Order: sequence, then C-alpha cells, then structure tokens
Amino acid sequence: MNLIGCISINHKRASVELREKICIEPEHMAEILGKDCEAYTLNTCNRAEIYFRGVNPNAVYGLISGLSGIPEESIREVSDHLVGSEAVRHLFKVASGLDSLVIGESQILGQVKDTYRACLAAGITGTLLNKALHRAFRAAKRIRTETDIGKYPVSIASEAADLACHIFGDISASTVLIIGAGDMAGIAAKRLMSRGAKKMVIINRTHSAACDLARELNGVPMPFESLKTELASCDIVISSTGAPTPIITRDTIEAVMKQRKNKAIFIIDIAVPRDVESGVGKCYNCYLYDIDSLKSIVDRHFSKRKEQTSKALAIIETELDSFEKWIEALNANTTINDLFSLLESYIQEQIDVLPLDEKESALLEKTLRTSLRRFVHRPVSFLKDHPGIDHIEHTRRLFQLDEDYQDRHKR
Amino acid sequence: MLISGVLILYFMTCIGFIGYLFTRNRQIVIAARILFILSVTAHLVFTIALSVKIHHLPVSSPPQAVNMMVLLASVVFTFLIWKKLTTVLAAFFLPVATFSLGFIAPSVGHNPGLFVESSKYWYPLHTLSVITGEAFFIVAFITSVVYLIHERVIKRGAIHNIASSLPPLAVLDRILYTCLSSGFIAITIGMMLGALWASSLDLEYAHIAPKILSGILTWFVFAFSVHQRFAIGWRGRRTAVITVIGFLVMIIGFISINLAYPHAHGIGLIP
Repeated sequence: MNLIGCISINHKRASVELREKICIEPEHMAEILGKDCEAYTLNTCNRAEIYFRGVNPNAVYGLISGLSGIPEESIREVSDHLVGSEAVRHLFKVASGLDSLVIGESQILGQVKDTYRACLAAGITGTLLNKALHRAFRAAKRIRTETDIGKYPVSIASEAADLACHIFGDISASTVLIIGAGDMAGIAAKRLMSRGAKKMVIINRTHSAACDLARELNGVPMPFESLKTELASCDIVISSTGAPTPIITRDTIEAVMKQRKNKAIFIIDIAVPRDVESGVGKCYNCYLYDIDSLKSIVDRHFSKRKEQTSKALAIIETELDSFEKWIEALNANTTINDLFSLLESYIQEQIDVLPLDEKESALLEKTLRTSLRRFVHRPVSFLKDHPGIDHIEHTRRLFQLDEDYQDRHKR
Repeated sequence: MLISGVLILYFMTCIGFIGYLFTRNRQIVIAARILFILSVTAHLVFTIALSVKIHHLPVSSPPQAVNMMVLLASVVFTFLIWKKLTTVLAAFFLPVATFSLGFIAPSVGHNPGLFVESSKYWYPLHTLSVITGEAFFIVAFITSVVYLIHERVIKRGAIHNIASSLPPLAVLDRILYTCLSSGFIAITIGMMLGALWASSLDLEYAHIAPKILSGILTWFVFAFSVHQRFAIGWRGRRTAVITVIGFLVMIIGFISINLAYPHAHGIGLIP
C-alpha cells in the first residue's frame, strides 16, 4: 500500500528519437488516478519519469503508449520499472543530478521543483510523494553544500567565467570584447554577462553578424578594423572566428599592453584553428587560454566530480534511511503507540518535577493518565476507524511524533 | 609573562586562519577573527606596558623595532581580515608574525637606556615613521607572495582547490600598490626627520653611516617600485617580484647592520 513505484525512460537506455515523443503531463496522470492514489511526472530533455502510488504500472505503460503512439512493448524494453526504496533512491539521485548526463549538474533540481509545483496545482501528489519529494530536495541541497560536486565547472564557458573572476575579482567593472559572432562565443559571453560583466563589444568581419549578436547580448557592434583600439580598452577577450591564421599576434599584444600600461588582459581563444598566437600567453600580465587548455581543465573537473559521487551516494542513503523510517511509522497502530508513549513521558516529567511522596506520586500518576487518555480517546478512535495515510500523517504532525519534525521546528 | 600570552594568542589565531584556508568554514573564520582582535589588543597592551616600564617608546633596540613592526602590520591586517576577499591573507601573515615575535620575545624587554633631552622629541617621530613604512612593507611582501602563488595557479588553471580562497589578482595588486605608496610616504618622512635629528646631535659620520645606508637602501626599493608603477606601468607580477626582493634586501640589511654595529640603534641614548 505504501510502496512508491517509478517508470523511468532516460538517456541511459532510450534514444533521443524515442524520448522526444514521450511527455506525460500531470493532467494525463490525473485521468488514471483512483481514490487514495498519487503521482508525480517529470519531463526533461534527458528523461521522462512517472512516480506513483496505488496505480497499476500496466495502466501507466498503457497511458504512455497511448499518448506517444509508441508500442507498449518498445517502451518496456527501454524503460526501468523501480519499486519501493529503489524508486525513492532513484528520485533522490535524479534531484541531486547524480543520474544526469553531466554528473552533479544543478539545473535538474530546478526542473524537479517546477514539475512538482505543476503536479501540486493539478492535485495529483499526496502525502507519500510530497514527503519523498521534499526529502529529495533536502538530499540535493545537502549534496550541494556538503560535497564539492558542484564546485568544479564542467563547461568551458563556466570555467572561463571562473578564471576571469580570479583575475579581476568583481567582473561587473570589466569590458568584454567578443571577436567573431559564432555560437561558442555567444555562450561564453552570456555566461560572463550573467556574472555581471559591464559592457560587451562585438567585432566581426561581417558587420551585420556583429550587429545581430550585439542585439542579442545588448552589446556594441564595432568594425573589424577597430580591433587594436578595442584590445587596448577591454579586459576580457573571447575569440571565436573562422580565420585560417591567427588574428592576434604577440607583436599586436605587446603594442597593446604598452597602451594599456600593462593592465591585465584575459584572452579566451575558442577557435579552431587558433585565433591567437600561443606566444601571446608569455606577454606580461596577459592570461591566454585556448580551447585545449580549457578542455583539459574541464576534463580534470569531470573526474573530480566523479570522485565526489561516493560521498553524495552516502548522503542519499542516510536520507533514504530516514524516509523509510518515516514510512514504517506511517501505520495506525504505531502512531497510537507513539502517542501513548508521548503521554507517558509527559506524566513522568510532571511527577519528576513535583516534590511528592510515593503515595501522592501514585495518585497523581493515575489521575494524569486517566485525564490524558480521555483527552486523546477521540483522535485515537478516529484513527482506528479511518487508518488512511493522510489521517496518520496529520496525527503525527499534530502531536510532533517524528523526531525530525520536531528538529525542524526547533531550527 | 605578557609576551608569552601574546605569543599563544598569535599562534592560536595562526592555526585558525590556516584552518580557514583549507576548510573555508564560516565558524572557523569567525573564531579566527575574534582571536585576531584579541591578539592585536593583547599585543598593544604589552607594548604600552613595555613603554611605561622603560619610559620611552619601545623601539630603541632591534627586538623592540621588530615588535613594533609586527604590531603595526597586524593593525593593517585588522582591516584586511574583515573583507571576505582578503581574509585569507592573514593565514600567510600570521606564521611570519608568530615566528618573529617568538624570536624576539626573550630580549624585547631589555632596556638599552634613557635618551638625552634633545632626542626625546625627534626619536619617536623618526622611528615611528620609519617603522610604519617597514610595517607596510611587510604587508606588501605577504601580498606579493600570495600574488605570485595565485598567478601561477591561474596560469595552470587549477583554481578550484585551496586557490579558490585566494583573493583575485586585481585586489592583491590594489593592496600592493596602496602599501607601497603609503610605506614610501612614511619612510620618506621618517628619513627626513632622521636627517634633521642627526644634525641636532653631535655625531661622527662613521657612527651613523650604517643606519644611513640601511635607510637609503630601503627607501630606494620603495622609490623604484613606486616609480615603475607610475612611470612605466609595472603591475602585478613585476611589482610583486621587486617587492619580495626589496623585502629580502631590507631584512638582510637590518640583520647585518645590527650584527655588525650593535649600537646603531642606540643613537641619542645617554652614554
């Protein structure tokens, strides 16, 4: 009854052609949900997943097949059907980015949260999945703060932005010069803009392309002939042209550095073949990174992220353990026993505080026990007659029977 | 007794900031900052107590000059540790400060004597100016070392380990420039006051020559760095390298002159 199931169609087994046909919205799941059932759907570019409780998995496969037009057998072949703790563990891994194509990426958490909001609005989630998702968010947050998994950028644009911050500190006062109007330069420029770069200047041999990119980035297009002038005034250069020979030579930079009074310049050359002569990196106060050096840094970061995975998995296991304990307690008899234990602890506290002799203590204990049991008689009877998960959970929350619930309130 | 307490506090602060450098833990840095304030306060109290005990500003012997230099440099770091970007600089300064204090602790309380009447006013003005300049030089030296380490790390692209705690190069360059300029002004004033003081005393040239040489050497290093910055636009690595070399020259000069001429710091004292 309390088992969560999951059908996952993801990048590990399913092709992109198949994945792009599958998109299960919360409204679709609402159609097949019965009483006391719940579901959660997640659709991203790398995965389509449905988490459910109280629903027949065959019905879910049928729904996916019906909506996508793909035969049920084909879906079963490329999907994973997980049940119980396996499904919850998978959810935790997905939310923390451990199951992603780029291990440890953080975008997935935002997507999980967005789709959770949509599912809440559609009213298809319930007590169990709400709790599982909140635990998933907590696991993801812990992994991000307690491990170094997100510390190492794994995209060239992010690494370039990080290096710029190490040189200039606050890049909000920096001017960025983009040479070439290709996609790669645009991506790196956007990353620097998101970090607050002050001004963007775009230079391209075809001036109209420079104007287009300038509009997109809210930058200033300049003619190619003004390259030297712009090099003298900018702080960060991103070069990505299709030129067959270098357009920035050591002589150019040495002349520019004199004009700049040796103010530091950071050059990212992501063009192949290279736009900047390798000797430029030897110029005083000039920091040059080409595509190979940036890629080797990023590759090192990939392996460092993998090293952090075992730490992250250990966090997931502790969160999973805590979730399973909560599920075990989600039982009417356990809840009633926990409630009576709470009453006994209150009685004991009162007796310990008051300076009474043995006879008086016994009398007080008896009186307190009778009163308190009478007080909880109605909720206990109700719980026995209606042992639904929602009622049990409400009782546990009302009387704060779970340790972590109380801890959360103390914080 | 008090100097031992100061030393213990400096040592604990040193451990705290090194711990922060490796862990970047918020609680550790809060504790280290509090310890730093306590250390500087205790150091100040010790210096005032010493001053009261010997009846003049405690800079009349090499250990006392080092003590004052460390105290003034610590005061400069008191401002730097409150900024998130520059906090870790203390992790590089404190081992130097603790070692220097430990080295001079046994002899810092020794009183070389009282000053003649005519030196009573010149002496604190001259020495404080020069030592302030030298304290700025210590800060510049520490900043230069961190700059050279960080620049090397950036060139290698390994910025996500301990290096992620280091201040950005631009920030280090600004601190370096500020320290060199301030130090240059202080040491120039100090040298001018020293010249005026020397002329008021009936001294043989040979007696003060080592001190003049040491002073001019230090002044030239400052002057060269500041000139290269303004006139030629030296920044970053070159300024850092010249500062490290200049600091080593200053230290070697300070030690060798005090070893060769033990009375060089006793100018103006009652014979």
